[in-house]
Amino acid sequence: MAVTLAGCATTGNTEHAVNKDDPYENFNRSMYGFNDKLDDYVGAPVSKVYNKITPQFARTGVFNFFNNLKNINVIVNDALQAKFMQGARDSGRFLLNSTLGLGGFVDVATDAGLDLNIEDFDQTLAVWGVPTGSYLVLPIIGPSTMRGIPGSAFDVAANPSSYLGMPIQLISLLNTRATAEGALKFIDEASLDPYVFTRESFLQWRKNLATDGKSEASMDFGDDLDELNSATKSQPALQKDSKAKHKLELSAPLQK
Amino acid sequence: MILKSIKLVVVFIISMLTTSAVYAEDAAVGATAKQVVEKFQSELIAVMKDGKKLGYAGRYEKLSEPISNSHDLTKIARIIVGKEWEKLSEDQQQKLTDIFVRLSIASYAHNFKDYTGESFGFDSEEETTRGGVVVHTHLVIPNDKPVKFDYMLKEKGNSWRIINIIANGVSDLALKRSEYTTILQREGFDVLMTKINEKIDSYSKL
Repeated sequence: MAVTLAGCATTGNTEHAVNKDDPYENFNRSMYGFNDKLDDYVGAPVSKVYNKITPQFARTGVFNFFNNLKNINVIVNDALQAKFMQGARDSGRFLLNSTLGLGGFVDVATDAGLDLNIEDFDQTLAVWGVPTGSYLVLPIIGPSTMRGIPGSAFDVAANPSSYLGMPIQLISLLNTRATAEGALKFIDEASLDPYVFTRESFLQWRKNLATDGKSEASMDFGDDLDELNSATKSQPALQKDSKAKHKLELSAPLQK
Repeated sequence: MILKSIKLVVVFIISMLTTSAVYAEDAAVGATAKQVVEKFQSELIAVMKDGKKLGYAGRYEKLSEPISNSHDLTKIARIIVGKEWEKLSEDQQQKLTDIFVRLSIASYAHNFKDYTGESFGFDSEEETTRGGVVVHTHLVIPNDKPVKFDYMLKEKGNSWRIINIIANGVSDLALKRSEYTTILQREGFDVLMTKINEKIDSYSKL
């Protein structure tokens, strides 16, 4: 999947603290800038033409087709993560869309209540206990992590569309860029620093996927508050202690 | 005689005022975290319904109070600059808080501009060990997947205030904090102010 991003990367040469998730920030920022320019000069104009000459239903069809092929990889990773019930549903989804859905062009399974699950090898590695590693921006491909690189390699190998040859992959690439238009516009609109915004939302999104939405960390504003408290009271010793203790253990839900 | 009735009226008015004041306070004390969230969501939906008619300026005005009353914007402004807060002068801290309030209202006014059948639903509520409450809700969008909205609230005085919103697992507070601290560290306070001002400006035009 090629995600090249809109927005302008900011550069600064001032001394600053190193972000623990992003020790290669300077390299990543220049790669982000490269992808951004590439998107400005190639991605965006080509995608604009593509959008003009193909009707919406064709774009949706192409999107569905490639998405359906991805299901094989989803099913493999369901099994690797021992999610057998979900694996059965995803297999049903693949069979239904490949047959009734005319080879995957129509997503009949979602209407039948079999929603698309996002599972990939990066998530499997996370379930197996491999840490995320540093954030990395790759040329053309965009945001990734140290763990994401072997993850993507596996996903590419397990996706039939990878063996379909160049013209078809190009369509997949084009269609992905065209579908991402809205998201790219949103980043541009909502962010003050598009590079940081992209990094943070990417890392949070991946964490949320890897933990199937149960991520404690996604609720982990505990640290934010600790910092606030320590800033007001300036008790660094206490802060360290409370950080370890109060990793926002949620008590049993009051209502469910 | 007349004097006496005037006195009575005055007493009556005063007692009316005090009871209504007590009632108002009671309502604030009684409002649970869930109620604060649901009140805000219904006010938001109401503005969305009139969104086109109101225009950006109208939405900004209508949302200004509901947002300020349900969110602890001062605290949020402080959290998102993290340790950088202490390095700012008092004047800068005040400027940052003020501009952040404007940005928050502007982004709501910009993003919730019209109504296409959306509605919020309540899922559950849970307490955190640090005395906060998380209210789990979702936004139903016709012909689209629902979006999970989790609100983190903290007690402020005798009412609950939103300090973080997590949409589909992405924490707004964490996102903002990374952006603001990075800009402060790399480019400084004035650039941050300029960027926020530009953002507010573009929200008002789009």
